[in-house]
This record gives sequence, C-alpha cells and structure tokens, in this order.
Amino acid sequence: MRARRTPAASRRRLGGWSRPLGAGCRAGLVVVALAAVPAAYGQDAAAWLQRAAGAARGLNYVGTIVYEHGGRVETSRLVHLLESGSEFEKLTNLDGPAREVIRNNDLVRCYYPDAKIIRIEPRSFRNAFPSLLPQQLNALAAHYFFRKGELARIAGLETQAFVFEPKDGLRYGHKFWADIASGLLLKARLLNEKNEPIEQFAFIDIQIGAKLDREQVKPPFSSLPTDWQVRESPPGEVQPQETGWVVKDLPAGFAKVVEGFRRLRGKSAPVAHLVFSDGLVAVSVFVEPVPPTPQPVGLSQQGGINVYSRQLDDYLVTVLGEAPGATVRQIAYSVAHR
Amino acid sequence: MGKLQGAPGDDGAAGAMVKAEEISLLVDGELDVERIEGVCTRLRDADSVTTWVCYHVIGDALRGSSAIMPGFAARFATRLAAEPTVLSPPRRGPAPAAIAWAAAATVAAVSVVAWVAMTTLPIGDASLPAALATARQAASVRAADTRPAVDNEYLLVHQEYSPTTAIQGARPYLRAVAATDPNARP
Repeated sequence: MRARRTPAASRRRLGGWSRPLGAGCRAGLVVVALAAVPAAYGQDAAAWLQRAAGAARGLNYVGTIVYEHGGRVETSRLVHLLESGSEFEKLTNLDGPAREVIRNNDLVRCYYPDAKIIRIEPRSFRNAFPSLLPQQLNALAAHYFFRKGELARIAGLETQAFVFEPKDGLRYGHKFWADIASGLLLKARLLNEKNEPIEQFAFIDIQIGAKLDREQVKPPFSSLPTDWQVRESPPGEVQPQETGWVVKDLPAGFAKVVEGFRRLRGKSAPVAHLVFSDGLVAVSVFVEPVPPTPQPVGLSQQGGINVYSRQLDDYLVTVLGEAPGATVRQIAYSVAHR
Repeated sequence: MGKLQGAPGDDGAAGAMVKAEEISLLVDGELDVERIEGVCTRLRDADSVTTWVCYHVIGDALRGSSAIMPGFAARFATRLAAEPTVLSPPRRGPAPAAIAWAAAATVAAVSVVAWVAMTTLPIGDASLPAALATARQAASVRAADTRPAVDNEYLLVHQEYSPTTAIQGARPYLRAVAATDPNARP
C-alpha cells in the first residue's frame, strides 16, 4: 500500500467543485452533452465492455499476468474454467510470499501459507456488470470520450485497443486491449490526469480456449491442515434498503447502484454500504459506527483504488473506488444524515 | 503546501536539523524511502520532535483537545532518544514505518499544540484569532490525516460491485491479495 497526500492544488479544485454554482454548471453541461451524444457512441463502447465481460466469464484460459502499481511489479498465474455452467478460477502469485485465491462461482478462498491462514469470502460477482442500462450508457458517453486505439500484439495475440478518456478531473482514464478473436481483455491500464499509468494488468502469455480440467483449479490441499486458521466472512449481499445516509454532492455522472446494510467480518455492527457508478467504475461508501475516539483518517491508495476515511460524529465514513483521490474525498465530505 | 508559520523548527536552521518540510513529508508518508531513516535519526533532536508532534496534533488541538501536558515534547524526545533504531527496510504490508510513527505520535501527543499555544500566546489577547487562523491553515496540511491502512474487508466487498472486476475477471482480486497481511487484520 502506498499512502498519498492530497496536494494543495487538488484541495483548491475540490473547493471549487463543491460550490453549489459549480454543481449547477456541471448539471447543465451534462444535459447538453446527453442531448448531443450520438446513440452509436454508447452502444459501441458498451459492446466492447459487454464482450470483454462475457469473455472473462465464459472462456477457458490460462496465463501469466503482470500487475504493475505504484512502482511495483507482481506476477501471477491465472487459470479460468467454465464447466457445466460453474465458474472456477485460480490465481497464484509467483513472487513474494505465496498467495492463492481460488474462486468457485461466488465463493472465494484466499490461502496464506506463510501465516497458515485461509480466508473464506462469499462474494457475489453477478452484481458487478449487469447489462448496461440506458442511463449508464448515457453516463459513459457524457463523461468519457470513447475511441478505438491501435492494433497491438500482446502475449502473442492480435488485440484492438480502446480508450475511455475522461472529460473531467473526477475520474481516471482507461485503456483496454481486447483479444480480437475472443474479446477477452489482455491488458488494462488506468491513467491519471497527466496520462501517466497508475495501474496496469497485462497477460504476458495466455492460452485461450485451453483444454483445462478441475485439477488445475483445485485448492492446494483437499482438507485443511489442522494448524491453519480459518477466517470466514459473514455471507450475504447488501439487502437493499435506506440506510439513513446520503451523499449530498455526488460527482457528476455517478448514480447510485445499491444501498443497504451488510455484515462484515471484524465489524460488530452492520455497516451501511452505498455504491455509485459512472458506468465504468464504482465508488463505495461505507459508514460504520465507531467509538468516539479518534480514528485513522485521510487518504490512502492501493493500486488504482483511492480510499478516503473521515470521522463524522460517532461514525467512520470510508469512501473507496477506482477514482482520483479528490473524487473519493469529495464524496466522503458530502456524506450526511438523510 | 501551506506554510506552517510559527512552527518550532521551521526557522530555516540548516545542518543536522530536520527541515520542517521533511517532517511534513514524513508525516504524510511522502518522504522518499531513502531519506526516511536519515530524517528519523535526526528527529531525535528536541526541536524537530516538537515540529513533528506539532504537525500531528495541531488539527486535534483545534478540534478541542484540551488536556495540557507541559514538557511533553521534551519527554517525548528523551524517550525517543533512548529507543533503539528499529526502522526496517520498506516491506510489503499495510504498516509502513510512516504510519506506525504517525499513529504513535498522534496517540501519545494529543496536546502539545495546545501547550505550545498556551506558552507562546497570551490567552485572550487579540492576536489569538490570528494565531488560530495560522494554526487552521497549518491544519489543512495537517498530519491528523494519519494514513489509514486500506481496510481490506471494504476493498473485497467493493470489488463485487466494480464493473472493472467483471470485465477483467478476478484480476482486480490481485489488488486485495497483493497487499494483504492476514495478521494485520482485526
């Protein structure tokens, strides 16, 4: 993890954004932009995204991924198998302390052999990318320039690059390279406002449509050694309901995807969880009750994810997402009781 | 960066003294890795400690912490000087030295700014609002923003809803796993 401090310049910009006048201007611009968007834009962008999502889920593939972030490079092996409608995935890091993530549909198990810990995480990935709704297409079109980029060869395969360039400073840029034959993303890059890469995933070798079997996605051992600790997260998705919390100054283009309470491991009380998306990325807002003692607050960063925490009376507000620090900070400071 | 006017140690003294800016960078976790050890070593100087603590607690003091502990900075410096140097090279995981230091200083030193204010400002004097304004300005770069470790539980839950998770398969899970120290969790 790399901690980061918001520069003074961002703070000044933030101040500007949070003025009501600024918000009004933005809203006006959005309306104008929406009216002017050719329908083909959103559909073209969405077609690429949908194809990538479908390929990631529906294909069998095995390859080596290089993950670069904050000056670090990590290499992992990924195996993905779809068998009889069931999804299996195994991710093993190849350097540093051994870590293994094994996913079977919505159940994720993380193995930490050095610490002899297994974490079991019930996860629901179906929520992540439902068919894009018309308003999400509009949001994409209103807040990103979409264009096709170059043809490039990656991991030995021909890819088509496509780019989402943000129209404002509230979001990062995205560049994807999709395998032309299958649509699978072979490389993805997150770019900051200076067009510098913040985070990148790339396959350096991959076999798509490989003949795979369950053997290649099985856990490191069939029964857990007795000296391992099991840490299990409470199951359950967000039960949609009003939480009593609201984001008063939501950055343009973000719309609420879900709101509710959920139980999290290590938290005694249910945590309010609100998710906002601009069609391409999501920002989560968590609000949990805390004792009235000072909590760790401020901005931190992990790869392409920025996190901002602040204390609001007896609550800790944490906002995180694939968005610039100033954006998560703006959201954090506009969280209020409904 | 806002200028921390009147902060002890910010008088431009050169040489072995730690510059206030270096302390600010350290507090913010922005100091170059190569410089951390040197700055921490030189932090054993009492004035530097006061500056360090000042950066940390000025925001807290403004928010109403009022416990006064005269001589805290001096005691802190003495204790610090007696501590062995335990800074290890940067490691993976959520507890870089800067966070640990910041947390320790914040927890330990809530009232030094109040103390500094009490000993340097005639309370009730007309200059107090100006001093507070300066302090407020300093607080905007304040280190009360001690860097929190990214809450992995949140990160994992967030992935479920992130469109990038879906278009990139489980790859974003790398983020969650790459930096996770399972022992550092509650």
